[in-house]
Amino acid sequence: MNIHEYQAKKILTPYGINIPKGRIAYTVAEAKKAALEVLPGGPWMLKAQIQSGARNKGYFLEAPQNKKSGIRLVKSRRHIMAEAGEMLGNTLVTPQTGPKGKLVSKIYVEACQKVKKVFYAGLVIDRLNANVTLMVAETSEDNIEEIALTRPERILRETLDLQKGPTAHQIRKILDFLCLNSKSAKSLRSFIRGLHKAFMELDATMIEINPVGVMKNGELIALDAKISFDDNALFRHKDIQELKDDYEDEDRRLQAAKYNFEYNEFDGSVGIIVNGDGVALSAMDLLKRQNAEAACFLNVKGGVDKDKIASGIKIIMTNPRVEGILINIIGGFLRCNLIAEGILAAAAEVGLNVPLVVRFEGTNKDEAKDILEHSKLPLIIAENVNEAVEKLLQAMEESD
Amino acid sequence: MSILVDKDTRIICQGITGTQATFHIRRSLDYGTNVVGGVTPGKGGSEHLGVPVFNTVAEAKKEVNANASVMFVPAARVKAALKEAIEAELDLVVCIADRVPVKDMLEVKAMLKGAKTKLIGPNTPGLITPGLARMGIFPENIHTPGHIGIVSRSSTLTYEAVIATTIAGLGQSTVVGLGDDMVIGMGFEDILQKFHEDEQTKAIIMIGKHGGTFEEAGARYYQSLGVKKPIIGYVAGDAMPAGRRMGYAGDIITNGHITVQDKKDAMGAAGITLVDRINELPGELLKLFSCPYPLQNGKCIRKKK
Repeated sequence: MNIHEYQAKKILTPYGINIPKGRIAYTVAEAKKAALEVLPGGPWMLKAQIQSGARNKGYFLEAPQNKKSGIRLVKSRRHIMAEAGEMLGNTLVTPQTGPKGKLVSKIYVEACQKVKKVFYAGLVIDRLNANVTLMVAETSEDNIEEIALTRPERILRETLDLQKGPTAHQIRKILDFLCLNSKSAKSLRSFIRGLHKAFMELDATMIEINPVGVMKNGELIALDAKISFDDNALFRHKDIQELKDDYEDEDRRLQAAKYNFEYNEFDGSVGIIVNGDGVALSAMDLLKRQNAEAACFLNVKGGVDKDKIASGIKIIMTNPRVEGILINIIGGFLRCNLIAEGILAAAAEVGLNVPLVVRFEGTNKDEAKDILEHSKLPLIIAENVNEAVEKLLQAMEESD
Repeated sequence: MSILVDKDTRIICQGITGTQATFHIRRSLDYGTNVVGGVTPGKGGSEHLGVPVFNTVAEAKKEVNANASVMFVPAARVKAALKEAIEAELDLVVCIADRVPVKDMLEVKAMLKGAKTKLIGPNTPGLITPGLARMGIFPENIHTPGHIGIVSRSSTLTYEAVIATTIAGLGQSTVVGLGDDMVIGMGFEDILQKFHEDEQTKAIIMIGKHGGTFEEAGARYYQSLGVKKPIIGYVAGDAMPAGRRMGYAGDIITNGHITVQDKKDAMGAAGITLVDRINELPGELLKLFSCPYPLQNGKCIRKKK
């Protein structure tokens, strides 16, 4: 689960991370009021609150020609409302959002902080080595993506002890690597310790401060903040669950999440229902090679509740972009007959108006086929995924 | 022979009295798996599915000499259950649960360092040695004993690979699902090494998917081998759009090598034969087994005169 910059900054403050003074604003009037509150004379930063990186490299779909991004420096109070108005209610596209972009419904108004230099700091899980790794790099001249691509040796990686966090030696090493003045030593120590503590306590999977600013007095300040949390650990963080911004998720994804299913949308016309990521991916790979594409896939995982499965299938059947449905199930934990019963229940309720091809393998596949064969629903049963894809595309062509 | 599990492995099930455990352990017992007991705290002294139930893993080890566990406990209790199994020095634990918090797994991985126990999973269908032992949730009816070792990061594609070997008229030596979580126990390199040392295994299917750098680590190990058994590989996720990202940390930690193509490149460079579609696996297997020449480093190469 991801959260917005303003939420991340608020969460990190009790961990000893300095942040500039800021307020959230939903309207242009609120933006002006917020600006005058945080720093009466300015200058200010107006920052679009969408869950994506590279907001400063974005443009707005409604006004692509003016090439202005989602992060803006405003020096005069006369311009606050105009700048805020160009962002609020419009759609920001960045290199990390995809071409559809994201609607900006709120902006963060912040006192613009003067700093002497900036650096990147990221804490992330190294999946292969199963540890928590801190990465830092000076970014005063180049941005981090440039450095990562062309001069990775300019990024320092330090593995942090899960319980103890950074050692004194590691903090010294980071100070030297970033060429920080010794008057920043104390601030650096509490900054890195704070990030580590927050990471572990909050079950984060990523915390990124890009950039960290170094102020004249040597103190560090977080000019941006991103946190991703482990969805599987949210059960022990009720307060974080409440930060979830439903605007960021499509309706259907949320519906599916209610049943603990995974749902993703793409640009094509085939609805895919599977019981594992892998079979969804292999089906999508096969579609791609036939010049077709998925509209969405629903992963019911190891679902064992027939009613939930039926509700999940309905999500796909009622998606207007779906022109054909591919059900590819290899039962292990999940029993195929539950899917078959779910298909019948869903079809009875919302009707089956598009071609549907089913492929069952594994646990209880014969019962499942039996149920479908006796149902009189106009569906096709295939023996393997390749055949299923071919038969579905053919049926979709014929029904055009 | 087989890897990791055979008829002499003495298996217990942690969480044996739960609904899913009951369903699957009954099937494993019917399959002939040597399940010698179960553990459910508070239910020690009773019997379930015809095997004794104990309160702790240590007790089960003492009483029925267990050396492996298949774990059906829910995600929130996985860390504690794994700690118990590691402290009891079991040889092998297969953890089926999905949705285990990654921090718990980081702590488990720290416990596993230097420990006797090997972990498969979590979020795995488990492992099966056809005809001998089933630890997990594999649909056993699709398996036949044979010479292909299968190792996969995706549950459902593991089953596809099994079906492919069956279509090719070849069976499986052992099938291992590594698990599909952020942090997992044994990796490709660990299992490839076991297959490499196993006489029964003549060729290997390796199934990867997008995310992480587990496939690259497996490829590095394979590259380091002098004599290679053939590996046929498939990596799922080609058609997956790059998707939304949050920041750069994920890219940096993998040195920017995050795409399916990066994984395929690493596997190909190590000498692994790759297929683009999952249904091409049987054909590639048949090509290998009908090669008129002795295989050279796992490939069928026509000898020059």
